[in-house]
Amino acid sequence: MSGMYDLAIAGAGLSALSAIAAGLGRRRTIMFDYQDEPGGFLKHALPAPGFETAWELIRSTRIPQGLTACYGATVVGLLPAFEGGEPHTLVVRQKQGTSQVQAKRVLIACGGLEIPREHAQIPGSRPAGVMTPIMAHQLLAQGYLPGKRAIVYGDAHYSRVTAQRLADAGVAVSLISASEAQLVAIEGSPRLQRVTFRRAGETSSMEADLLVYSVGMMANTHWLKGSGISTAEDGAVQVDAGYETNVPGIYAVGTVIAPSLDHVDSLAMGKEVASLLGGTP
Amino acid sequence: MVKDIQHVDVLIIGGGVVGSAILREVARYSARVVLLERNPDVCEGTSKSNSAIVHTGFDAPPGTLEARLLAGARELWPQVIEHLHIPYLQTGALLIATSDEELATLQNEITPKAERNGVTLSPLTRDEILENAPYINPAIKGGALVEGEGIIDPFWTTRAYCENAVLNGAQVFTGVTVTGMSVEENCISVHTNDGLTFAASLVVNAAGLWSDEVARLAGDHSFALTPRKGQFILIEEDHGVSHIILPIPNRISKGILVTPIIFGGVMLGPTAEDVQDKSDLATTAAGLQQIRQGIARLAPAMAGAASARQFAGLRAVSSTGDYIIRFSTASERLLHVAGIRSTGLSASPAIGRYVADLARDQLGLALRANFIEELPEYLSETHPNEGDVICLCRSITRGEILAALRSPLPPETLDGLKRRTGAMLGDCQGNICMPRLMQLFQQQRGSDLLALNKNYDGSSPVVARVPGREGV
Ligand SMILES: Cc1cc2nc3c(=O)[nH]c(=O)nc-3n(C[C@H](O)[C@H](O)[C@H](O)COP(=O)(O)OP(=O)(O)OC[C@H]3O[C@@H](n4cnc5c(N)ncnc54)[C@H](O)[C@@H]3O)c2cc1C
Repeated sequence: MSGMYDLAIAGAGLSALSAIAAGLGRRRTIMFDYQDEPGGFLKHALPAPGFETAWELIRSTRIPQGLTACYGATVVGLLPAFEGGEPHTLVVRQKQGTSQVQAKRVLIACGGLEIPREHAQIPGSRPAGVMTPIMAHQLLAQGYLPGKRAIVYGDAHYSRVTAQRLADAGVAVSLISASEAQLVAIEGSPRLQRVTFRRAGETSSMEADLLVYSVGMMANTHWLKGSGISTAEDGAVQVDAGYETNVPGIYAVGTVIAPSLDHVDSLAMGKEVASLLGGTP
Repeated sequence: MVKDIQHVDVLIIGGGVVGSAILREVARYSARVVLLERNPDVCEGTSKSNSAIVHTGFDAPPGTLEARLLAGARELWPQVIEHLHIPYLQTGALLIATSDEELATLQNEITPKAERNGVTLSPLTRDEILENAPYINPAIKGGALVEGEGIIDPFWTTRAYCENAVLNGAQVFTGVTVTGMSVEENCISVHTNDGLTFAASLVVNAAGLWSDEVARLAGDHSFALTPRKGQFILIEEDHGVSHIILPIPNRISKGILVTPIIFGGVMLGPTAEDVQDKSDLATTAAGLQQIRQGIARLAPAMAGAASARQFAGLRAVSSTGDYIIRFSTASERLLHVAGIRSTGLSASPAIGRYVADLARDQLGLALRANFIEELPEYLSETHPNEGDVICLCRSITRGEILAALRSPLPPETLDGLKRRTGAMLGDCQGNICMPRLMQLFQQQRGSDLLALNKNYDGSSPVVARVPGREGV
């Protein structure tokens, strides 16, 4: 893993895979991901209707010869070389310990985190049974039901897929649109009992032991704090038209630059980055 | 059916910061000492939901036991922090006067009172304050620096008091509620929800907000406590805050403050609302609004900051206004340590000493020869091949998680693990890593996931097996 790489990719989610499928990373490239497999957090919800392209990409993408893919390997810091210099240094944690990796160019493709309930000031208690989709999907995959009567709150296609997954496992699910209903109270202790919504001035409550809060994503950039990489108010990495950050040689792509965009955009951006950074067209 | 009766010298009811500090100090003596805590972990009551400030006691009513113990604690903290490796930062506090009247109160009342409490306040002009803390409202009139104020990790403090006591032979039982007490000739019999009975030569009632109810179990109706709620807003962005920012305190509370958090971020609050229900920890729209209004006067830039989390704590308010540390009207074998309203964390080392002295005198205890003063640094003791990150948002490794699960007072709940390691406290609030943490719990402790709670009984993140996958 030591030595100097031409390119280091932080994150093996959809945008990175899409770039690799389009030819990026054929030479002296190293890629890291927190998870034990490629495919990003969305993978836990797949396969699912509407996500066929993403699923196909995850299943079919071959890691090319010149690319070392490290899973269970989390990039916890980035030390850019400023003033047009190189290399840049990534601090990586994996089983064997913490190490540093140097690369001439870096592609930040570490995606987003789902916005948790705690980020909105919703009055009420802090019961068990309130989570975002990623947690629900993982618990289901481990063979456990996170609740028996669920409310999935959100508008995204991903919210609907999550609701369907729960229903398939035998959970009674209500899907509530976040654009139509405002969440005004979460009650219950120790477990969730009731959720209250306001729609067009009318308040109504629903009994539930699971609330899947699925209102959107935020950029996963806490690990870039203090690195000197410019981020916007909402945490998203700022890039120019060529996906380059304020630091020459450091690029970013996917949800990490645009948390409100769809997975389809990540796939498209991945292709574009591949051609810009020198993948085969 | 005859139950085993455990004979002990000192039995402490309540694993908050107060009961735990007492446990550690009593463990210095050759005595059988136990602590019973109703919740599944120590530090689940008021001790976990507060401003986390080690106050100097500059504004304590002079002459009270509270003022005396706060002064005593100032001497003891440096050693406690060093021996228990408690994360602590002496930030100092800026007292801010937002009007001429407040400035007069600061000069004519608060400064002389602090002097009587042995704390010197250094006056600061408006400009000096703004230079130190550019985020402060430029419309302020002046203020003062209280150099000795600092911030600490309350959970670490409480856990470390207990772990150190456990290393010295004390026993901690969590998930055990005291349900009855009977005063016998030579002891007090203490009964619990799970059928344990203890015969204790001395019972220390450190049950926080519930200590009046615990007193009543022994037939003592001599005091009553009422809850006073304090709500907080937590923000992740620190806005350059490096001091505690205090408004000029009034009679009811210390007011709404800005407090940097030892592990990063800032706390805004608390409110001070008298409530009825001792379990009412709900945050309210009105309370959060009140915090933002209070902060707008001190530091307008922070008033609108995005909030990562909100929570509430309950102060135990007694009718006397001072700490209640005295023997029960029902028995000299029951010692109340109650009404520790707003300064229990700060005074804890001295409360522990004071109560241990009383216990020593009462029971004729002798110091043990081999008391272990220092707590080993368990949490940084990691094994090879455990360096991978489990908590993504906080970069916390498998080794750190496993070290907590292997410690002398290992967590029984996910919140217990959260507080020991900081996992699940980042941007995603545990949604990504909690399932993995549950697996580690299961591997390390043999926990049944359906019974592994977030905190209280019935708070497991999972409720059943997926149908058809029961055997998996
Ligand atoms: C909003 C707010 C801000 C504060 N800020 C500060 C600050 O900055 N600095 C400071 O020094 N102090 C502060 N305080 C005060 C401080 O938090 C308290 O003084 C302190 O936590 C009291 O500790 P305790 O151990 O007495 O109570 P608790 O922490 O409540 O512990 C009592 C324990 O007893 C247990 N118990 C009760 N009944 C039974 C039973 N029957 N059987 C077994 N166990 C039982 C409970 O479960 C509980 O864990 C603040 C308080 C609040 C509410």
